[in-house]
Amino acid sequence: MSKFQRFLLKRLAISVLLTLVAVSVIFVVLRLLPGSPFEALVTSGNLNQEQIDEIRAMYGLDQSIWKQYINYLGSLLTFQFGYSILRSQPVWEVLEPRLINSLILLVPALVTTAILSSVLGMYAGWNRGSRLEKASIVSTTLLRSTPVFITAIFFIIVFAYNLEIVPALGMRSIRATPDGYLETFVSLDFLHHYLLPFTVAVLYYSGDFLLLARNGVVEKRGSEFLKLHRAKGLTEMEQLARAGRNSMLPILTYFTLRLGMIFQGLILLEVVFSWPGIGRELVLAIQQQDYPLVQAAVFIMALAVIIANLAADVLYAYFDPTVSTNGGGSA
Amino acid sequence: MSTETKPEAELYKRADALWTTVRDQFAFLRQDPMAFAGMLVVAAFVFLGLFGPYLALHDPIEHTVRGDGGSVLRLTAPSADALFGTTAYGKDVLSQFLAGARPTLIVGLFGGLGTGALGFTVGVVSGYYGGWVDELLMRLTDLTFSLPFMPMALLLLTFMTPNIWLITAIIATFLWKMPARVVRSEVLSVRERTFVRSARASGASNLRTMLYHVAPNVLPIGFLYTAYGVAWAIAAQASLAFLGFGDPTMTSWGRMLRQVFASGNMRVAWWWVLPPAIGIAAITTSVFLIGRAYEEVINPEIQTDQ
Repeated sequence: MSKFQRFLLKRLAISVLLTLVAVSVIFVVLRLLPGSPFEALVTSGNLNQEQIDEIRAMYGLDQSIWKQYINYLGSLLTFQFGYSILRSQPVWEVLEPRLINSLILLVPALVTTAILSSVLGMYAGWNRGSRLEKASIVSTTLLRSTPVFITAIFFIIVFAYNLEIVPALGMRSIRATPDGYLETFVSLDFLHHYLLPFTVAVLYYSGDFLLLARNGVVEKRGSEFLKLHRAKGLTEMEQLARAGRNSMLPILTYFTLRLGMIFQGLILLEVVFSWPGIGRELVLAIQQQDYPLVQAAVFIMALAVIIANLAADVLYAYFDPTVSTNGGGSA
Repeated sequence: MSTETKPEAELYKRADALWTTVRDQFAFLRQDPMAFAGMLVVAAFVFLGLFGPYLALHDPIEHTVRGDGGSVLRLTAPSADALFGTTAYGKDVLSQFLAGARPTLIVGLFGGLGTGALGFTVGVVSGYYGGWVDELLMRLTDLTFSLPFMPMALLLLTFMTPNIWLITAIIATFLWKMPARVVRSEVLSVRERTFVRSARASGASNLRTMLYHVAPNVLPIGFLYTAYGVAWAIAAQASLAFLGFGDPTMTSWGRMLRQVFASGNMRVAWWWVLPPAIGIAAITTSVFLIGRAYEEVINPEIQTDQ
């Protein structure tokens, strides 16, 4: 087995273990919650004890906690998430469209910002000390450090309430009743609702990419290989292209990590814009104590992060020869 | 460090050194106009956090603003009666804004310090010892990375009554991973330097080597991440409060925004939205701007001559 394969195997084992631990933590936290969603039913007095027991048995809540834990592990690992208590629908049927709504908002935003901000960042880093560099750093710092819901509120006030260019809420107008994904997402009405949250997401993600790209280029500026390129007579832009290419790795890894976090949705962004995504659904489910929905949603989010982490580690080890693959891998 | 001096003289020397450091830092921040502006904002914010509740003319929650006829002034634009206008419940926005700085300051300061201290300790221990200690601690950070902060915090806050210290603790529990990783990788490079090796060779214990030889050399990056921790903690606290999981007994800027949003008055009541929104945006941005100014100096990789 080569060194790289051993590294890969170890990382994989760690990821599996992490998933198990994360899933167990979620289980424990959920069982610590007081009350149950059935309490409202019971106190309403419409059910007798027999019916309550029946419902509890249906959701497996009458079994011992260990039995429940084993069942829970089994069902999560086979992606059988059970029934949502409040929506009386299979959990996956509730989550799937929400997850897609989140991804359709955030993946294009992340890709757009990764490309635009990195290019801008490289250019800013090349012209270190210029007005452009300073302005871009200050504005991205502002956008990155301000909680996203505040940026969103400002944008809503300016563009939706005052200029009235775009609607402030939701994913489509109330009258629209599209059928299927194609009809939902390929329409002018959707685009109209999409613009504002998309823009805010692009701006929110821009900061880290810009700074990473800028630092990478600043770091490369004085290095020997660029002197060689200069001596060869390449233009400034051609030199920048080469410096930029050499600082792509951190950006690529960061992109992978961010992609994993996208499954969490931008909870606050979705809440402010009433975007029917997975983050907003999770907040609603927590407020209504809909356990099966909550645990499935948190599981998907955790799993995505673990997989992305694994991918980023492997990418790094594969592309960067200076990363040791025998130890835990130093920074 | 081994020379014996009188305790008092030593103390004076230390105080003097400390003063010089403070003055140097101040001079350093003066050079960067953005960082300097950030420092002014932070100073104003700390002042508000300490004295804001006493400056407020009215109790932010109990007092109801009434007009001439004794009627409750709901959603009125800024006027002589209420300088920043009133909320939908007839409360004084200015008083809420002044009182709301305190929880933001408490959570930001202690959440940030907790994040920094915890992360720094884990980073130093993990990097210094290496081996299974390192492996264990780093897998622990991986675990906190994979448990998404927001959902977990919301879950925890549903079965524990939110109060400001609990929120601070939750934030620090989830954020320490950031400084831990960075500090660890710094320690890895410091650990192999000659002065550390010679300290160990001359018989210094592990604890002594860590405290006196390794830790001081990674302290700057620890401070930097503590500063970032403050900004993260403020943002996290505001976000939680905005989602309705804040301390219900205290007015905070995040809670003000929640009330505007939930009552559906964002469209009209700009005077109710702007003070808390600008407050939060200004303080988080300022902390980051100061942090960045230091990062330029601390981060060895971007320290090339221009």
